[in-house]
Amino acid sequence: MFNKRWSTYLWYTLPVLVGLILLALAQVFFPIVSPTLSTFDIGIAGFVFGATIRNAGIVAFIVGFVITAIVLLIRSWDQRHISQAQTMYADYLEEAEQKRRHFLRRLDHEIKNPLTGLRAALVNLQEARAADERWQAQQNAGKAVERLTRLLTDLRKIADLDERPIERYSVDVPDLLDDVVDAARAIPAYEGRNISLLIPKVPSPFPMIIGDRDLLLLAVYNLVENALKFTAGDDSVEVRAMEDGKAVVIEVADSGAGIASEDISKIFEELYRGSNARSTEGSGLGLALVHRIAVLHGGGVGVRSSQNEPRGTVFTVRLPRR
Amino acid sequence: MSLDRPTILLADDDPTIADSLAPFLERAGYHVLVVSDGMSALEKAQAHHPELIILDVLMPRMDGRETLRRLRKLNIWTPTILLTQVGEASERALALEEGADDYLNKPFDPHELLARIRAVLRRARPGERSLSVAWLLTANELILDRRARRASLSGETLVLTPKALAVLEYLMTHPDEAVTRERLLDAVWGWEYPAGTRTVDTRMAELRRALDDDPTEPRFIETIPGEGYRFIAPVHGEG
Repeated sequence: MFNKRWSTYLWYTLPVLVGLILLALAQVFFPIVSPTLSTFDIGIAGFVFGATIRNAGIVAFIVGFVITAIVLLIRSWDQRHISQAQTMYADYLEEAEQKRRHFLRRLDHEIKNPLTGLRAALVNLQEARAADERWQAQQNAGKAVERLTRLLTDLRKIADLDERPIERYSVDVPDLLDDVVDAARAIPAYEGRNISLLIPKVPSPFPMIIGDRDLLLLAVYNLVENALKFTAGDDSVEVRAMEDGKAVVIEVADSGAGIASEDISKIFEELYRGSNARSTEGSGLGLALVHRIAVLHGGGVGVRSSQNEPRGTVFTVRLPRR
Repeated sequence: MSLDRPTILLADDDPTIADSLAPFLERAGYHVLVVSDGMSALEKAQAHHPELIILDVLMPRMDGRETLRRLRKLNIWTPTILLTQVGEASERALALEEGADDYLNKPFDPHELLARIRAVLRRARPGERSLSVAWLLTANELILDRRARRASLSGETLVLTPKALAVLEYLMTHPDEAVTRERLLDAVWGWEYPAGTRTVDTRMAELRRALDDDPTEPRFIETIPGEGYRFIAPVHGEG
């Protein structure tokens, strides 16, 4: 056990130790508050402070030295992390800039096509003599305007989502999915298509989620419409709801041709069109909207797809349950 | 009024819009005066006393909103439709609060503008302030305080989501008017949903539950099959 002399040393050393630890912590966590405080100063402070106490100088110096070494180690580790963070930030800026360039290029493309169609339709309207040709030109002009309007509407939705707060009320998921499926079945172009809704009977009632019902309806509707767009008449589309105790999972699955693996990582980007989507109507913003809405609700969206047997695509929206 | 045709003052700085809308409105039976900035709109409104004014929001010299404020300050209560360009919710809310009788989000179908013009003119009482500028709207025992964003029925505050309240506000400021679901979507949500009409129906069901309004024997909101809704109770505005 300690004799009296050593216990006296320890007793005197304790405040020095505490003081030095506090100084070291201040240096590590608040370098801006005390920018002139160097690790060397800590060592000296430890020595001077220790020397004022009888017989504790050597102990305090050693403690100060050890703490200085620890601080230096932490700093070098911290420095590495700071440079890593700086590199990551630079990468992030570069990626954001690249995304912006891609977005503008895609937007240019999305506007150029209907505009070209519109100009052609106007020329036909001016020059065509036959009534059926003029009627066709009018139809084409109408379609081009519709396409531009849809693009603008979807762009506005994305901008709006960034700017306005979303509603946060209880949302009954089975009721919401019921509405989505009913609305999808009512689309004239997909009349008679097979859309199944699968809601588990247990737990009962199905857990609620908190969110903006209109936006969630839009998100799931976009997924269902997407599934219908990329499948044929004999394919199946399923809308499923599940829960795992923490989250409600909504899946929209289809037995269509699937998404090419090189497209999978990009399909949630604004205006990105996969290799099999270029000739399909749409603004190219539907999935980006789904992603944004899921994130705004504290959740996320994922996709798995296969072009080989068993083929098909499953989009998964995870939303925290109430 | 020119040759017994109602006069419309159209203020839009974009000639492609003004030059196309003016002949369209002329064909529809109106006499149209076109100006390209807010200051000229203010002058023409005082000089020609049009029956209706259409103001674009973004214009040089004086924007549409400021023009509208000045008109109201001059005690000119000519019915006014604002043409908004930004789809932000705040813009739409302001359009209602600043004394516009109605508004349309660009881009719009000219026929929709015509429908708005006709509805606003039908509702208008010459020289009187319209319901769109009243802060307190009363329909029998239903009271809507637009400033406090609160509705009450027989003294009991109604628990409504902001969207349902906005739907009620739109209907009460457009009483006895057939309001289509698409119009409600554009006015309240600001953008159309593909499944939007169902969204409107859901909010309407919420509203009716809160108002204890039986759709088969409505006291406040009547369903117009295949079209939309109509607020049938007489509405009085204050403030």
